Amino acid sequence: MEKDNTKKSFLRIIRVPAFLGVLIGVLSALVQALIISAGGPEAYGFCVACHTRDLTNAIVNAFADGSLGLAGISATTPVLTIIGVIIGGYIAAKRKKEFKIKKGSILSYLLYFLGGIAVLNFALLVGACPYRLALRFAYGDLVALIGMLSIAGGVAVGVSLLLYAMKRGWM
Amino acid sequence: MATGFLSASSAVIIIPIITLALGFLIGYLAQRSGFCSIGGWRDLFMFKHTRLFFGYMALIAGGILGYFIFWLIIPAAFPGFYWAITAETPLTPIPGAPPNLEILSYIVLAIIGGFGMGIVGVLLGGCPLRQIVMSSEGNLKSVFFVLGLIVGAIIFHSITIEIVWLIMP
Repeated sequence: MEKDNTKKSFLRIIRVPAFLGVLIGVLSALVQALIISAGGPEAYGFCVACHTRDLTNAIVNAFADGSLGLAGISATTPVLTIIGVIIGGYIAAKRKKEFKIKKGSILSYLLYFLGGIAVLNFALLVGACPYRLALRFAYGDLVALIGMLSIAGGVAVGVSLLLYAMKRGWM
Repeated sequence: MATGFLSASSAVIIIPIITLALGFLIGYLAQRSGFCSIGGWRDLFMFKHTRLFFGYMALIAGGILGYFIFWLIIPAAFPGFYWAITAETPLTPIPGAPPNLEILSYIVLAIIGGFGMGIVGVLLGGCPLRQIVMSSEGNLKSVFFVLGLIVGAIIFHSITIEIVWLIMP
């Protein structure tokens, strides 16, 4: 009986975002403590934009003999975070029967594709995705704070646009 | 040269495994909890819901806690910690952005980059992590977003970064 209750509360806490948040923060620090001898910038434990860039450019460089930029640590060894995220998300969805193919219009595919290009370019301008900005801020980087507040600003503008569009009946 | 618990040669072997494992954990838990930073801001502004926002804040708190504790254990692995105090120029960002620019350029880039991420992200429904998880859930629109991330990486390092170096002091 006791063991059942503890298992239930553990399963409930997984659904709380703050649990994952603390985990990412602490584990990123641990990962850096483990592997930084191999190179790589500080506060690099988790970053969707940078790790995608590293994996993509490493593959492109290998196949097309190019010289696209990479982070220090990725020049020596592949950083496979993104692959893990894709697999992890897929397995979680499948296990809970939440996997469902959802289609969209061709236009929406184009919009999302261009959006992906835009978001990655914006992210690399500041040098991080929202999560690495949080890690960099935790590390003491004040420019990261400016970045995070700018994201909030962008979201505020976007939200106003969404509310305006909803009021006008566009969506 | 920063040194961590593992030497460079063992780290090279461990890194693919540990990053894959960390990614798997994050992907799994993010799917279960709907974790999203931009969603956090959006829900906060639109509905005053704080569930996702606390998730993002928890990441910062976990990071501060984690970095501090591990820095106490093995300071050599955390050069320049606490960046605002020990770096030579406290306002330069930690490496990641295009290197060798003026401080003002970094601030401008941070504002432009952050703002762009915020507005595009909220209009498309999530930060990059959330989009990846949604594509793992079967959402085909998000799959195209992830393809965009990949192509965007190539575009950034061929075109965008040249523009940055051209314009920014």
